[in-house]
Amino acid sequence: MPLTMASQGEINSIKSIRGKDETKRFLENLGFVIGSKVTVISEIGGNMIVNVKDARVAIDKGMASRIIV
Amino acid sequence: MAIKIALAGNPNCGKTTMFNELTGSSQYVGNWPGVTVEKKEGKLKGHRDVIIMDLPGIYSLSPYTLEEVVTRNYLLNDRPDVIINLVDASNIERNLYLTTQLVEIGIPVVIALNMIDIVRKNGDKINLEKLSKELGCEVYETSALKGSGLKEVTDKAIALAKSKAKTIPQHTFDNVVENGLAQIEVAVDSIISNKEQSRWYAIKIFERDEKVLEQLTIDSSIKQKVEEIIVACEADMDDDSESIITNERYIYIGKIIKKCLNKKQVGMTTSDKIDRIVTNRWLALPIFVVVMFIVYFVSVSWLGTIVTDWTNDTLFGAWIQPAVGDFLANVGAAEWLQSLVVDGIIGGVGAVLGFVPQMMILFFFLSILEDCGYMARVAFIMDRIFRKFGLSGKSFIPMLIASGCGVPGVMASRTIEQDKDRKMTIMTTTFIPCGAKLPIIALIAGAMFAEKSWWVAPSAYFLGIAMVLFSGIVLKKTRLFLGDPAPFVMELPQYHVPGAKGVLIHMWERGKAFIIKAGTIIFVACGVIWFLSSFGWNLQMAEEGDSILASIGNVIAPIFAPLGFGNWKAAVATVTGLVAKENVVGTFGVLFGISEAAEDDPALLAQVASMFTVISAYAFMAFNLLCAPCFAAIGAIKREMGGWKWTLIAVGYQTVLAYAVALIIFQLGGLVTGAVSFGPGTIAALLVLGFMLWMLFRPYKPVKKEKVLSAGGQVNV
Repeated sequence: MPLTMASQGEINSIKSIRGKDETKRFLENLGFVIGSKVTVISEIGGNMIVNVKDARVAIDKGMASRIIV
Repeated sequence: MAIKIALAGNPNCGKTTMFNELTGSSQYVGNWPGVTVEKKEGKLKGHRDVIIMDLPGIYSLSPYTLEEVVTRNYLLNDRPDVIINLVDASNIERNLYLTTQLVEIGIPVVIALNMIDIVRKNGDKINLEKLSKELGCEVYETSALKGSGLKEVTDKAIALAKSKAKTIPQHTFDNVVENGLAQIEVAVDSIISNKEQSRWYAIKIFERDEKVLEQLTIDSSIKQKVEEIIVACEADMDDDSESIITNERYIYIGKIIKKCLNKKQVGMTTSDKIDRIVTNRWLALPIFVVVMFIVYFVSVSWLGTIVTDWTNDTLFGAWIQPAVGDFLANVGAAEWLQSLVVDGIIGGVGAVLGFVPQMMILFFFLSILEDCGYMARVAFIMDRIFRKFGLSGKSFIPMLIASGCGVPGVMASRTIEQDKDRKMTIMTTTFIPCGAKLPIIALIAGAMFAEKSWWVAPSAYFLGIAMVLFSGIVLKKTRLFLGDPAPFVMELPQYHVPGAKGVLIHMWERGKAFIIKAGTIIFVACGVIWFLSSFGWNLQMAEEGDSILASIGNVIAPIFAPLGFGNWKAAVATVTGLVAKENVVGTFGVLFGISEAAEDDPALLAQVASMFTVISAYAFMAFNLLCAPCFAAIGAIKREMGGWKWTLIAVGYQTVLAYAVALIIFQLGGLVTGAVSFGPGTIAALLVLGFMLWMLFRPYKPVKKEKVLSAGGQVNV
């Protein structure tokens, strides 16, 4: 399922990231790679703060929906 | 020969703090990613021949963001003698990703495991020896904030630079990838002159890095061969080449972490718990509004007024001004000199200085909010709202900073990666009333609205925000800015209790500019205004109405007549506002010959009140708040826009919009209250209003731009 559907506080593992553009690369550089654990810390209207590799990253809805967990 | 040491690391891991500590300088340090956008150079304290380079924070050496390009070009082309790689110890896994790339470029690397105090506090343990062995370079624990461990790191760096030792990458990727890389290394062997970098280039070619491919000029036969190798590898690993490398790096780091990091705490950190509340879906906005209300209420209305009154009434009014006046009279100074000093200098400069305490309090609060990590969250909270108006959440930080001063506000726009978003933010940021515009608001509020003036200051902020949002919608529909706002990704710092030293330094750094301005530009400007208003063209002292300034003002004044302030004093004040916005009040002070004209001085208020009607005063304020900012801010706009063309577009847009808004306020507001009768001016105002509404509501087709990646030839979906 896309990360947007994950519930708060639950630890998920990234299965894939859709798309093949700079945004995907940037996410990967930030630690969003296959197998990484992500936790949704909070969510406002689809925009999310997630914890990945001990860093807190804010991403918008469009990006969160491309991360499949 | 001088040794060059480069500081490289992830954004917000403490590079600039360390740079300041090492060089004794005081570069701006902010608590969100991307504060340093240009490289900065300084000399290491106690070593004349060691140069320290502060580089922008980056997550990787790929060429996607401005910061990455700046840092990468410096490292590859200027080749510093040694790199100190700052690694945020509290976030070691992600930080080491960059390390794996830095060790590949053939420059010796020393690792500074920074923020080690946070790790210790959490009870985590990092095995330095193992880490050092795994990475192939020395590792030292540091805390840039406390200044510990820095000497060891720099000593080692200098030793490494002198011995010309090399750092050899210790990591290997999956066999399939390694095979491919080896084949590429052989294929391009003839092109790479610097053999130390051959692995780096092999990897970059494998990743199809556009900038590297451009730079290398590989002939087509080799190119084709390389492409075959890459495609074979991609088929094998079922991913695109760049993602393969990224994954491989993280797999390798994962292994190191398992061996070297002993994490005590699992589950939610305190920072995450705070975020649960502060960025909560329902609570985020109310909390933000309350926080900002408290900040502005305390610094502008309550505590700010108390200290400003004291500065004006006691410090200047009761002590300095009479003392100086008496002194000049006693020594028998010429009347013109007394007039220059008391009316010109103290009148103008005092009006500005009296405002400094209020600004300092505002900056104090903004510094606390920034330092503890809340500011970065605000961008996240505001993103969803700003997106509706064609801006991204990142536009909000420059605007918040601009409420202190427009210059750092404009500069903060650099954290916005997308060019169109950044330009639009630069154009609209100065609509938010800055500290220097507060005296204008206070003056108009006090003069025209007397007892019922509480709503004037909030309405000025509201006007600024409304104009930002209006511009967001309207500009997005023009050809220059068409397109969706960029996707929002931003790393958030951990919350921490702000240090007193850091906050006070921040406050001082921000407030200093105003005091310096008062002592330099405004000092001179007030002297010039005094001279021009006291002397006629024949260089004899003249009545104000016959002065040089009056005749200049009378030429400009008709431009502002449709806005309701077509008298020469208001015109001159507006123009002097370009030098510094505080000058608007300072100029009135000089022109009305009131020594120490603070914005709440009763004599000044009475004079100003006689010059305006309620409506024209508000129009005057609106114009001065929205029109072209001061020269310093225009200079910042030019630097950030990178040329005069965009600077003129920005300043032109601001001034035209200011004129339009002031016209509507005066003409239509006047018509309603009966102060203005229906005429050509009203018709013009109605036409302008109609045009603005049409721009706001006209439908437009959002053109979805499909970006084509040239490297792999794939089209994005």
